[in-house]
Amino acid sequence: MTYEPKALIAEVTHRCPLHCVYCSNPLEMQRRSEELSTGDWVSIFQQAGEMGVVQLHLTGGEPLARTDIVDLVKAGRSARLYINLITSGVGLDGPKLDALIQAGLDHVQLSFQDIQEGPANEFAGARSHALKLRMAAMIRERRVGFTLNMVVHRSNLDRLEDMIAFAEQSGAQRVEIAHVQYYGWALKNRDALLPTRAQVDKSIEIVEAARERLKGRLRIDFVLPDYYAKYPKPCMNGWGHQLMLIDPNGRVLPCHAAGVIPGLEFSSAREHPLRWIWEESPAFQRFRDESWMPEPCRSCDRRTRDFGGCRCQAFLLTGDASATDPVCTLAPSHGIVENILAQVNGGAHKEWVYRVDPI
Amino acid sequence: MIQVSPDSVLRLAPGCRLSDHGAPQDLLLIPEGALRMQGPARKIVELLNGERSIREIIEQLQHHYASEDAARIETETLALLTRLRERGVLESA
Repeated sequence: MTYEPKALIAEVTHRCPLHCVYCSNPLEMQRRSEELSTGDWVSIFQQAGEMGVVQLHLTGGEPLARTDIVDLVKAGRSARLYINLITSGVGLDGPKLDALIQAGLDHVQLSFQDIQEGPANEFAGARSHALKLRMAAMIRERRVGFTLNMVVHRSNLDRLEDMIAFAEQSGAQRVEIAHVQYYGWALKNRDALLPTRAQVDKSIEIVEAARERLKGRLRIDFVLPDYYAKYPKPCMNGWGHQLMLIDPNGRVLPCHAAGVIPGLEFSSAREHPLRWIWEESPAFQRFRDESWMPEPCRSCDRRTRDFGGCRCQAFLLTGDASATDPVCTLAPSHGIVENILAQVNGGAHKEWVYRVDPI
Repeated sequence: MIQVSPDSVLRLAPGCRLSDHGAPQDLLLIPEGALRMQGPARKIVELLNGERSIREIIEQLQHHYASEDAARIETETLALLTRLRERGVLESA
């Protein structure tokens, strides 16, 4: 079986003006002095285009912290990629947005931390909410694809209906309601962020009703917290099946979090052609097929649908990246997740901690 | 339910575009991925310029594919455009 990459996530910097309590970047962030140059990224985008990659997601950190962001968009577009900018909006203004669109930007995904300014700024660790509202209005006035991204968790999930109402009048074509996924800094704050079962059930009801009501007007994508799922998510649609991520200093990974798995060496795009890394590097092959699978995955009918779940989560929760994802109710280690949920639903409360930015 | 009628005038929504000519595959690129444009689908989407009505587009297609059944071209064009409209890929011009 051969796999063709479809999407490239380019983490062009870890620098970010926000300090979100659920940040998905790794615990150890890379410094500006270690970042790939414009020329490195131009070469990467060219190679990706030649390999058949269709979508380029420019993200970070805050990708607008790169002074060459317009050139990066231009380079991606010349490589025939569809360009999505995933941004907090901080660093954007009218002329910059016009320049990005002129350079070939197809789509902007603007993140919101809440619908109320106080809590939004608290979760972001920055006074950014008012600016985001202005950016949303500015994006709406231009012809560019527009998605709102709302990250939800225990402390804001009860305002979900207001968030959807905001999305409805924001001019966005699509809203992503994404429950926090527990990797990177978010895992550190997990016990303060995980919603209760009652909150999750209510959120599903709200989203289903809104989808019905807004059909054809606003598309709602909904990411559930997998700790509450019966079966694991098909993480990245399979390890090294469709997607690659390149971090600020050029390491090529199959997902955001894979750097946590010990014993895997992720090759650098500074040193190897992208095609070799995708097709032949040991790290991309490590969990690509089914040979690594233990029972119950190995004989499970769902293995071709969810691929045994997330390798990073398996490692983070059990210490073994080859274990069945413990969120799966069939996993021998599912008790770990049950214990966490019992604490959360039993009323345990923890404060979160903020992360500091790289230099 | 969104109706696409012969009088509708549609165009691609912001954030949606056809892949470049000469790209390895004919795709309609959209925010959440890409849709494969098979058979005459690319031509149909190319004809949506925000000025022509769907009726005019169907007439052009019937002219272009003169050996095909005209009624079938109409039904299939409307079906494709309705699907794309429901998906948010097309908007009223």
